[in-house]
Amino acid sequence: MKRTVVPMGPQHPVLPEPLVLDLVLEDEKVVDAIPTIGYIHRGLEALVERIEFGEFGYVVERICGICSFMHGMGYAVAMEKIMAVEVPERASWLRLIWAEMSRIHSHLLWLGLGADAFGFENLFMHCWRTREEVLDIFEKTTGGRIIFSVNKIGGVRRDIEDSELAAIVAKLQELGAGFAETARIFETDPSIRHRLSGVGILSLEDAHAVDAVGPMARASGIAIDTRLTGTHFYDRLDFEPVLETAGDCLARVVVRVREITQSIELIRQAVERMPKGDGAPVEVKVRGNPTGETFERLEQPRGEVIYYIKANGTKNLERFRARTPTFANIPAMIKLVKGCDLADVPNIIMTIDPCISCTER
Amino acid sequence: MANPFNLPMVGRSLRNLVSRPATRRYPSEIRPHFAGTRGTIEFDLDTCVFCGLCVRRCPTLALSCSREERFFAIEQLRCIACGVCVDACNKDSLHMSVVSPTVHLHTGAAPGATRPGHEEWHQQQPAGSPPGSGDAAGGTAVAAT
Repeated sequence: MKRTVVPMGPQHPVLPEPLVLDLVLEDEKVVDAIPTIGYIHRGLEALVERIEFGEFGYVVERICGICSFMHGMGYAVAMEKIMAVEVPERASWLRLIWAEMSRIHSHLLWLGLGADAFGFENLFMHCWRTREEVLDIFEKTTGGRIIFSVNKIGGVRRDIEDSELAAIVAKLQELGAGFAETARIFETDPSIRHRLSGVGILSLEDAHAVDAVGPMARASGIAIDTRLTGTHFYDRLDFEPVLETAGDCLARVVVRVREITQSIELIRQAVERMPKGDGAPVEVKVRGNPTGETFERLEQPRGEVIYYIKANGTKNLERFRARTPTFANIPAMIKLVKGCDLADVPNIIMTIDPCISCTER
Repeated sequence: MANPFNLPMVGRSLRNLVSRPATRRYPSEIRPHFAGTRGTIEFDLDTCVFCGLCVRRCPTLALSCSREERFFAIEQLRCIACGVCVDACNKDSLHMSVVSPTVHLHTGAAPGATRPGHEEWHQQQPAGSPPGSGDAAGGTAVAAT
């Protein structure tokens, strides 16, 4: 049969970010998909050679506007490891709280975009209305809505008072109660079920074979989550990864819906178990230049991110590298797209939660 | 098979019909900023000693200063409002404010201010300094719109 190549992206109404994908079609069936990476490459990793390591954290945050806190946190934690800095305990707890809040706002953003992609615009607005309240909490506590600039090597730049923390938990629980109705819509609405159920199935074996990460893997039944390793104080919380077994687009939506509720619960536990604020500083002064190299792993909303840092004892790092979760999930996306109908391609692309800014840096 | 009469969105949509909108009537209704909101950088010429600490720390090279010429400048459009310079300043000459008058409200274009967002300050040379070097607007801020 005659084959047609349809370019999908970089500009396409359904794509939130400029993903470049050439679809090879036979009639309406996709037989092959060729991704291209690098459309929005900005050379952020190379900037490390020109910007001093202390200030580079503010560049790392700008890798992506949605995972910005996690990128800043990953860089700061990795640098603290190299420089053997002992961070105040409260700073680590605050980082955990902000990280989980980032997950809530990222998943809400994605659920909205996902709803928009499968044509449920009303639901899209409901999700974004809820997300707005999380951003307000961010603005109150860090001073920014998208880029927080609150992480630094040696701790965090702002403390949150205990009364404020209690108010945040109350606010998030109220938000979670309101979100329960939206969650029920995602899980039970017949039109969503009809559109997503059975579409783009990634089996457990395939998920292992293509090394899927994050909600993509968890929707296929793989309990993979770097929070399980217990680093960054997750060992002090009762944490169980959210798992689904169907592996289709609906399962990936449901995993993210449940992770929002889970993150609210994790923040509640963290506020309960963290030491009370006594006015002590939440950062320590860092002296000297770093030497050595390290890896750091974090669970971002989209999956596992890995940072590699190599320092040579000067003010500038020798190498900074980030392997972002979307990059790890692109093989899974290609696998799912092959053999599906053209009309299902937007849903499959959206359910991997592509973050192209992260991937191409 | 999903039940086609299960319509969980309908109840909420009907409620939304009679409830207030979630959006604001901007610009007549402006959301106030929170107390901790970062804003833009404000500079106080009177306390600055032109040490250049902030200039060295700025990740975007948005600041420039010269001790000899008693000169300080900010490229506001380059600034990412990270607040590193505010932390670095020993003399409290730099602040962050959401109601900074210097960025948006300056209307008079001044000599030397050729780019949007460029603000510069010159201080009169102290007595005994070489002649001819303190001829700029003494002790006042000049800024472009």
